[in-house]
Amino acid sequence: MGFEINGVIQGRAWKFGDSIETDAINPYYRYPAMEDLKQHTMEAYRPEFAKEVKPGDVLVAGRNFGCGSSRPGLVLREVGIAAIVVESASRLFLRNSIARAIPIFQAPGVTAIIEDGQQVVVDYPQGRVVNPVSGASVALRKFPPLIEQIFRAGGLPEFAYARYMREHAH
Amino acid sequence: MTGQTIAEKLFSRHDLKGGQLRAGDMLEARIDGAMMHYHASEPMHEMALQAGFKDGLPRVWDPDRIFVLVDHHQPTLSQKQADENALIRAEVERLGINCFHDSEPGIAHQMMADYGLMRPGELVVGNDSHTVSYGALNVGGTGITRADMFYVLLFGELWFQVPESIRVVLNGTQPNYPIAKDIILYLAGKYGDDFAGSMSIEYAGTLVPQLSIDSRMCLSAHGVEVGAKLAMFPFDEKTREFMATRTDKPYESVAADADAVYEKEIVLDVDQMPFVVARPHQFGNVCDVNEVKSQKINQAQIGSCANGRFEDIEIAARMLKGRKVAKGVRFLVSPASQHVYLQCVKAGLIETLLEAGVQVITPGCGICQPRVGFLSDREVCITATTRNFKGRKGSMNADIYLGGPLTVAAAAVAGEIIDPRKVFDGL
Repeated sequence: MGFEINGVIQGRAWKFGDSIETDAINPYYRYPAMEDLKQHTMEAYRPEFAKEVKPGDVLVAGRNFGCGSSRPGLVLREVGIAAIVVESASRLFLRNSIARAIPIFQAPGVTAIIEDGQQVVVDYPQGRVVNPVSGASVALRKFPPLIEQIFRAGGLPEFAYARYMREHAH
Repeated sequence: MTGQTIAEKLFSRHDLKGGQLRAGDMLEARIDGAMMHYHASEPMHEMALQAGFKDGLPRVWDPDRIFVLVDHHQPTLSQKQADENALIRAEVERLGINCFHDSEPGIAHQMMADYGLMRPGELVVGNDSHTVSYGALNVGGTGITRADMFYVLLFGELWFQVPESIRVVLNGTQPNYPIAKDIILYLAGKYGDDFAGSMSIEYAGTLVPQLSIDSRMCLSAHGVEVGAKLAMFPFDEKTREFMATRTDKPYESVAADADAVYEKEIVLDVDQMPFVVARPHQFGNVCDVNEVKSQKINQAQIGSCANGRFEDIEIAARMLKGRKVAKGVRFLVSPASQHVYLQCVKAGLIETLLEAGVQVITPGCGICQPRVGFLSDREVCITATTRNFKGRKGSMNADIYLGGPLTVAAAAVAGEIIDPRKVFDGL
């Protein structure tokens, strides 16, 4: 499932606060199966999220998103989140999202221009996150070329597969 | 050209291209060791299939540099765990991985230290966030994700960005009880729970030579709770002694240059630091213990990769000698590994704890998760473990406070959160 990073993503924002932990995103201890996880993701902060989230919605959050464990946020993609846009992401959550090709963007100042329920536009090629109603925008951090390649490959295991096949082609 | 930080030296040493790297540089690094716990089988296999490997992972890059320690799931607490462990065992055999511990309970990170599976100056990754704890031994330990591990297993390499460094200077005198937990909580409270976000912490100051390896491991493990990629201690005589009894393989420790450049510096005088706790439900929600005094508790705990070591259990036993756990309070203590457990037994600590009414729990991660010692609605727990997120011990309507082992032991005796100096003499 490759992700062309040089596209534009638009969706309705679900807004969260600072330091949202992976225990809330992926409460795997209590719900080991993905089908159950999908019913309970983010309930620690917004019990209505799992019921009301729609495919194509965008998750907006404050600083240190995905702090805590090394668990991935695959469940957010499973419930239809098209992009995660945060003030800052915790290191392991960022690595996870890159390695599984989950669209994630760090855009300092984003929580000041996007309110819950508003439309948000993520324009990676232009390096901006935009509120199309107010016209306000903030810069997002571009990724180094290697990271863009991993996104395009569909994630690090897929990237690894391509390398392995290349090296064992003869 | 200015000098290099520990992180810059560590990553330069491991750069496949042999560069002299600086903070911000990207690199592909050579990995010295890879630690895996319960993700070793099914998630890896699924990723392999998804990526295109029809028969699963085709190989591992070096069967002697991969360490599989099935900590979270030992002893098994469900049929599912037993079945998962059987799959892991089969996968380890198929791939020819030589270092495999699946019949011994304990926390993988502590066992990595007990068995000398990592050495100063190495770059060691693990698919667990608390792998950063190896920095206590001057090892470049850092947590990675499962998909990162997939890449490491195949190639023994991984991409990194060299982190900026933050110098945390701890000055003062080590009292006759551990204060590592109070230090990291205090810093998280004062500077925020991401004050070292994606950075490398280098510990320095007059307290550092006085800190035990146990205390250093607590501080380094909690690097991840403040966002750090690395949480490094300098190599000294204590590190040398610790390694000498655990490995005979050579190593080259890593130190910063005197003119290394730091993004920021934090100085803490530990002599002026109060006893602190983190209130529910975040690590950085910290206050003086006296601000929450008289809060009744149902459960107290000491354990985990942050506080399941000898000195954490020793202080509890020392304080509980001749005392009883308050009626109605469940006090759970879980040594970090079988080595630590045996150390505690030989020192007579376990007998003291049992006489005081403590429940001693098999080593492992269960005490820090909703696996051992669940909380019910409206129950309150104070714990010297890693995290206090909502639902961490079961009920979403329970409150978890984090504190040092001394503060936890005091609360267990008093039945409520209290300044330890009000309970124990001789502090």
